[in-house]
Amino acid sequence: MNPGPDTNWRWRWAALKNGFQDATAYRLEFLFEVLGSAAVPAAIQWVLWYALFTLGGATEIAGMTYMDMIHYTWISLLFTQIRGGDHDFELQEMIRSGSLSTYLLRPCSVVEFVWIRGVAPKLFLTGLALVTGLLLSPILGLNPLNLITAMGFALIGNIIHYQLGAALAAVAFWWEEGYSILMVKNMLVSLLSGELLPLTLFPAHYHWVWKSTPFYLYVFAPVQIAQGRWTPSEILTHLGTALIWLVIGWGLIRLSWGAGVRRYQSLGG
Amino acid sequence: MNPIIQVSNVRRSFRSTKKEEGLKGTFKLLLKPEFQEHEALKGVTFDIEEGSFVGLIGANGAGKTTLLKILSGLIPPTNGQAVVLGQDPFKRAMSFRKSISLVMGQKAQLWWDLPAVDAFELLKAIYSVPEKLYRERLDTLAELLDVKKLLNTQIRRLSLGERMKMELIGALIHWPKVIFLDEPTIGLDVLAAHKLREFLREFNQREKATIILTSHNMDDIERLCSRVLILKQGEIVFDGDPRKLKQSDECRLRLRLMESPAASDFAAIAHVPETAIEISGPTANGPPGDVADDEGTPSVRITLKRTQIAGVLQAVLAKYTLIDMTIEEQSLEKVIQRLYESGT
Repeated sequence: MNPGPDTNWRWRWAALKNGFQDATAYRLEFLFEVLGSAAVPAAIQWVLWYALFTLGGATEIAGMTYMDMIHYTWISLLFTQIRGGDHDFELQEMIRSGSLSTYLLRPCSVVEFVWIRGVAPKLFLTGLALVTGLLLSPILGLNPLNLITAMGFALIGNIIHYQLGAALAAVAFWWEEGYSILMVKNMLVSLLSGELLPLTLFPAHYHWVWKSTPFYLYVFAPVQIAQGRWTPSEILTHLGTALIWLVIGWGLIRLSWGAGVRRYQSLGG
Repeated sequence: MNPIIQVSNVRRSFRSTKKEEGLKGTFKLLLKPEFQEHEALKGVTFDIEEGSFVGLIGANGAGKTTLLKILSGLIPPTNGQAVVLGQDPFKRAMSFRKSISLVMGQKAQLWWDLPAVDAFELLKAIYSVPEKLYRERLDTLAELLDVKKLLNTQIRRLSLGERMKMELIGALIHWPKVIFLDEPTIGLDVLAAHKLREFLREFNQREKATIILTSHNMDDIERLCSRVLILKQGEIVFDGDPRKLKQSDECRLRLRLMESPAASDFAAIAHVPETAIEISGPTANGPPGDVADDEGTPSVRITLKRTQIAGVLQAVLAKYTLIDMTIEEQSLEKVIQRLYESGT
């Protein structure tokens, strides 16, 4: 008999609090992780734009000037930290090491539980990024409503990112290891999400590459929305795409985990 | 009374890759992996009544943990059927998950960087334990295990014993009806293990919870379990009261003699096999044994059935001069060791 959806919201709220407590148990580590992982892609972009525009003498690339690029870099910083963390890696390690056993016996969905604990610090960062963005909006020329919409997109991106990661992590049920596949996924995300460079820099006939993955919804789409580059109808179209990806992600998790858990051997003692 | 656990002809096998030694083996594994099948359980059948405290004993690889994993619903049996609380464990129904608990001594279930109390708060919400009941249970458990002062300490800063106690609290906060404990006293010092045992005994008696315990520590089994299942290479070789196991088995008769018999002569006179005899102290035709231990007189230890004692004594007294004698109780560990070494 299908037990129906789990409507216990208390455990979700408790898991959210617990995840936040866990992520911030070491304050300096948390701060360093946030600042460090935001600064590195920004530094890479800055070096690239300096090389192209200042050293290479370019004045415009794909319709974007040096200032446009720097602007993109600054705004993308507001969103890069919101896309998922490494909780899909945590899932594959749990399968590999057998520590999944503990979670499987608890009366809640393990995939959802790990996401909720992982998203807790991301929600905190979303709030922080939103406040920062709103404070800087006069300088960066951002419309507050656009910024809030963009944050919403970034959060949907977080869910899709985790869903795809969780589905891929399930390969560990078959291969006993899923690290490499998640690493490759993350490299693709770095390239195709727009956190390293604006996706408009792709050759026009290769735009289908990033458009056919959901990764652009993590950073590139929020930046476009925040900068007011997309019309409301374009936003709605991309929201529709995001919702389709959410359904695909949910389906992939149901399929991969449903089959995977049947193969689980609970190794390691 | 209906059994709370019913296991019927349960078999479980695992398939794994086989790697040969060295670099050649590594390449072979990459290009043409070979698989091997291992049968961890070979048709196990038993029932367990509600409120029982049952020990699962066996050497490494005997199938104890596999059996616990099947009973808790982590893995399905390859063949046969397991029913726990009237349900198929592997379906892992919510009501089933809320009624059981599995504690693995070698696996942490709590969150390393958080104090235990934060983890318990989360478990309270997961198992929908009402606040008042949660407070009462936490108080009771922390009191029984003597860890009240440590509830706010980060798990990673606790000693192994303290951590294990916290793991137990985490596993019991929802008051499970069936508890599976896999080596709960592993790595604990004597005092901590004793405390834990006392606690488990009290919990079992007070709450009538059914507890299945695996342990290599025979103290755990002897002091807690009214029934033991001994697994050997995936099969049950004994199912019953551990005291019965000791009683029905052999004891050791220790005799101090004036003479120094040779083991072969003594065996012939006492009508027992030579392998059942240990002689310490000076012997007639062998190297001196542990003389100091036996005050310079030969001491003979014979492993025999209780029913044989009178006959052996009669035969020995007819030939040798006895200084004193004692009947030594066999330790459960020895009995099990012998059970393992025997062909049965």
